[in-house]
Amino acid sequence: MSGVAAPRAGGAIEVLDAGLQTTVQDLGRRGYEHLGVPQSGAADPIALAVANLLVGNTVGAAALECTLLGARLRARRAVTVALAGADFGAVAQPGNRPLATLRVHRLNPGDTIEFTGTGSPAVGCRTYVSFGGGIDVERVLGSRSTSLVGAFGGFEGRALQPGDVLDLLVAAEPVGVDGRPGGATPTVSWPETLRLPADVDPLRVLPGTAAAGPDGAARLKAFVATAWFVTPEFDRRGLRLESKQPVRSRPGAERPSQGVAPGAIQLAPSGQPLVLMPDAGTTGGYPVIAVVASADLCLLGQLSAGSPVRFELIDLEAAQAALAARDRLLSEGAAAIGHAVGEPR
Amino acid sequence: MTGRPAISAFGDAAILIDLEPEEASAGSATRKPDARSAGGATLEAGGATLEAGGAALLATTAAAQALAARIRSATAAEPGFGAVVPAAASVLVHLDHARGSTTIDVAIDVVRRIVDGLEEAASGWRSGGSILDIPVRYGGADGPDLESVAALSGLSQSQVMELHSSAVYRVLFLGFAPGFGYLGPLPAALVLPRRASPRIHVPPGSVAIAGQNTAIYPVGSPGGWHLLGRTSVPMWDPQRSPPAVLEPGGLVRFVSERPP
Repeated sequence: MSGVAAPRAGGAIEVLDAGLQTTVQDLGRRGYEHLGVPQSGAADPIALAVANLLVGNTVGAAALECTLLGARLRARRAVTVALAGADFGAVAQPGNRPLATLRVHRLNPGDTIEFTGTGSPAVGCRTYVSFGGGIDVERVLGSRSTSLVGAFGGFEGRALQPGDVLDLLVAAEPVGVDGRPGGATPTVSWPETLRLPADVDPLRVLPGTAAAGPDGAARLKAFVATAWFVTPEFDRRGLRLESKQPVRSRPGAERPSQGVAPGAIQLAPSGQPLVLMPDAGTTGGYPVIAVVASADLCLLGQLSAGSPVRFELIDLEAAQAALAARDRLLSEGAAAIGHAVGEPR
Repeated sequence: MTGRPAISAFGDAAILIDLEPEEASAGSATRKPDARSAGGATLEAGGATLEAGGAALLATTAAAQALAARIRSATAAEPGFGAVVPAAASVLVHLDHARGSTTIDVAIDVVRRIVDGLEEAASGWRSGGSILDIPVRYGGADGPDLESVAALSGLSQSQVMELHSSAVYRVLFLGFAPGFGYLGPLPAALVLPRRASPRIHVPPGSVAIAGQNTAIYPVGSPGGWHLLGRTSVPMWDPQRSPPAVLEPGGLVRFVSERPP
């Protein structure tokens, strides 16, 4: 494992305080689900992609995902940085310079990033911090994402801790950033005309395998019509939902274990459905009432305890159109910024 | 297999092939009686096979593996196809956007042609093969549920150990966590529902049983299976190729380090 090696002299980013849970993530680890390996990857892949594009990285470069509390980080050398996702009110020290989301900033050696706010159901729960070049950790099974479940990948297979030092891959030209020391004027930002998915939007879902037949259709209808909230039980493996009108599976509806994917919504005997997240196990036996459309997985990644959740039932055609729209959003953003969207790994 | 496999979209990024689809009119009246609701314990899924008997489990898992292998080779050159995940009686085909673009309609047609073109389903696992012996420390702190399993199954602790280590198990499929193999089928006397309340943390190396299956937890994780013992054999190393020690179709036997 990469973990045992001491950090190389120098390094680029030093972790002073790791917040609640800060991990290295890219767009995930695909192709090993048959070995039981969860996909991992950014819980809000759009925010990761946007932060990466802003600093000139490919959409799938490795960056930091902070949950609910931002990390305090010190730059050991000059770096470019962009933040996207939930806005926790980042500032750079010295000077208390605001680090607005969705634009590029420059940090000088010794500068620190701090956060004045936290995540919440109102602002979202995950913020992404991407550095020019991307974080240099070893690819394990094709990805730099941290597998918290498997304790491999990312930085030593775990969430970051104070004292960790991260290296960066060599950055492409720090495009559009005025390199003056002492705080440059950011000139690269995400076009305001390109609206990013917002957490007020309903989560679009497709019918699951447990929605077949008249009985299943009625259950799906009840599920979609219900106003749900996220319980305190939420992490990178899954989100537990609750409501005043629980929707239960039919008694005996458990099936032999079968493959599942992030976005699948399982009905549990308790009446509190579980929405699978990127670190979820690769197989499961609870009936799947619905599956979140791929285009809206990014919204799932911003939900936390107390977040209201509304669902909207769509068909496959609409889901494909939504996915195409998401891809278009990223390529138009990339074109406006002046980078091409590279291969996602 | 009891009939034609049912093929359906699993969201917009995966396709599920169910080898044992419930009849369209499935109601509780047409379902097989459940042999394991004994003792009033709550049956929980999410891990264990609940209904198939041992022989049926061997048949459906073998069919799922054979179909998955066929789909893997037939889609190797198709854009947009990702991992193919066989399980107890199904195969989930993941789409992977990064491996080329396809649409789910096109992908379903591809999968349907492969399934329709299959000859008769695989009749079972290939016999023979070498047996992987896994040394286990049964009971005590290593197997905190040995006592309750003995009580629930009406056996002595020694009988549970003997039974569990007397059978040769097939690796039926991998899932749940990295390198976690579903082994089975278990001797009928050891078939129990999962624990009513899952543990927050099961230590790596734990040897456990639930339903028709036994398994070794390769990494520490939450878990609802009954813990009989523990092994020091590492089951998962992402730096090794292949990273999982267990491979579907392989044979495993548990050997007690402390003979009863």
